[in-house]
Amino acid sequence: MNLTYFVFFLFILGGTLIITYWAAQREPTTHQFYSVSGSLTGVQNGLAIAGDYMSAASFLGITGTIALNGFDGFFYSIGFLVSYLILLFLVAEPVRRLGTFTLGDVICARFPEKRMRLLTSTGTIIISILYMIPQLVAAGLLIHLLLDVQYTLSVVIVGILMTLYIVFGGMMAASWVQIVKTVLLMGGTFLISLIVLARFDWDISSFIEEVKRDNPLGTAFFNAGNLFTSPLETLSLNLTLILGTAGLPHILIRFFTVKNVQAVRKSVMTATWVIGLFYLMTLVLGLGVVVFVGWDEITAGDPSGNLAAPMLAYEIGGDFLMAFISAVAFATVLAVVTGLVMAATTSFAYDFYNHLLHDGKASDKKQLKVAKMAAVAIGLISILLSLGLKGSNVTFLVSMTFAVAASTNLPLLLFTLYWRRFNRTGAVTGVLTGLASSLILAILGPNLDAGDPLIPLANPGIIAISLGFLGAVTGTLLSREPADEARFYRMFVKAQTGVTPLVEDEPYVEGTKQRVPGGG
Amino acid sequence: MNEAELQTFQRLIRAKKRFLIPATIFLLVFYFLLPVSIICFPKVMNHPFFFGMTPAWAFAFAQFAMVWALGGLYYLKSKTFDRFAGQIDKEGQSR
Repeated sequence: MNLTYFVFFLFILGGTLIITYWAAQREPTTHQFYSVSGSLTGVQNGLAIAGDYMSAASFLGITGTIALNGFDGFFYSIGFLVSYLILLFLVAEPVRRLGTFTLGDVICARFPEKRMRLLTSTGTIIISILYMIPQLVAAGLLIHLLLDVQYTLSVVIVGILMTLYIVFGGMMAASWVQIVKTVLLMGGTFLISLIVLARFDWDISSFIEEVKRDNPLGTAFFNAGNLFTSPLETLSLNLTLILGTAGLPHILIRFFTVKNVQAVRKSVMTATWVIGLFYLMTLVLGLGVVVFVGWDEITAGDPSGNLAAPMLAYEIGGDFLMAFISAVAFATVLAVVTGLVMAATTSFAYDFYNHLLHDGKASDKKQLKVAKMAAVAIGLISILLSLGLKGSNVTFLVSMTFAVAASTNLPLLLFTLYWRRFNRTGAVTGVLTGLASSLILAILGPNLDAGDPLIPLANPGIIAISLGFLGAVTGTLLSREPADEARFYRMFVKAQTGVTPLVEDEPYVEGTKQRVPGGG
Repeated sequence: MNEAELQTFQRLIRAKKRFLIPATIFLLVFYFLLPVSIICFPKVMNHPFFFGMTPAWAFAFAQFAMVWALGGLYYLKSKTFDRFAGQIDKEGQSR
């Protein structure tokens, strides 16, 4: 084992544990544990959102994909970034105004029923665990390749760490681990970008000419269409990417960690700038890999090109820079999985234990105890699943999670917030159709089906998302359940203004400028 | 809600719709136009037109600019929305 690498890994380990120890000194209340008592500033939360979001798939995966396929790798960066506008325009502020700790709060603001909370909570836990698997698989591979530690042991180490952060530090530890990771990741990629560009005396055109010379595709490397040749596949991937983010529970619950909607906006704005600049830098990294690492070498370590970034660091900065970048990648994975454990834990302890089992009256002490036990259980389940799924395709699992989020949570959220006629039946049918279709289509697709796949789409989002929305619409229109306009009105006013209308208030029907008689 | 609150609320929703509907449509069209134009006109999109840069790359970078510009615009607009929301809150308290 290389000592430099080991020291850097220890540095990350020590740093994050100090953060957790510091977070553990806070007052043991549910408010503090689930949402840092809303005490983060917009900029801090924006950095944490970026840290929660930019996963190993972003840093290692996109750099590798750009290095191997040129332009088409950039599709991922664009989709991941543009999705934040959907989040900002339609989802972020209403979620903050209606919810306290979870997505369940938001849905129950309109449909205050236990089965609706159960539905949302189950969705949150499934999506979080599904997303955790590729992150843990990637972490296992990374540590195995860099430190020569066995895959199993690597996954167990990361699994234990993420669980420890949440058990002792809750959202406070998760947030600060994410903030520190963002700073490290941005610093690391900025440093490599500068070194790469400096090697060409800041002359971008000579850098690009060199890339053209150093890859087997030549000038065609910069053309679009090297990776995605099927039009339907390209559109499906782009649709999944732009709609997925707004349905990811671990991102949505970050809006509860700030004081008000102004801070929510500032959070999203900060995140879009950080994430956007990061993706522009991964482009430099990806092209730098072609020149400095060499096309054949990229796939030698890992066929999917996931080790391209650390290899580039080695070529331009030697052992020391590679150790630093590997440690940054380690921190990247840690921050994301910690956010995911937090989302699943909060949903279990708050939605399931507190609301479903104890009608929202469980004491802080009991909830915290259950939350800690849930974090351990979720950590354990994720570790076991990741060990079982060793060798599975990380990018496939990530895009599958985006498809599940976009076809279940997004229709549920958008229709709950904006569609007056939407009802409980529609909510249930929408979520179930979206979940079933996204999972079945993924199983029948080319990623898992070794032979001639039934569904030729590697990214079946275009079908699954359409079915999710269609399921919600059909369920609503076919059910005999009348739309509760009075409740929609109260939810809508609160979601848009933060003001809770009095129960006796008559509902305002949007668009008609009329009041609904007898409502309230 | 009293009459004043209701009117302010209606103005808020109108203001939000005026910005959000066109902005969302624009962002979706602008975003999907990139893959669609690459699918429909691969030769044009991959033909260098400006210092070796192809329309595909220029359009890809423009997506970043679009996110920051629309995000910034929304951030500015939202100050008006906040004013309306604050007014409704005040009008409600005066009851």
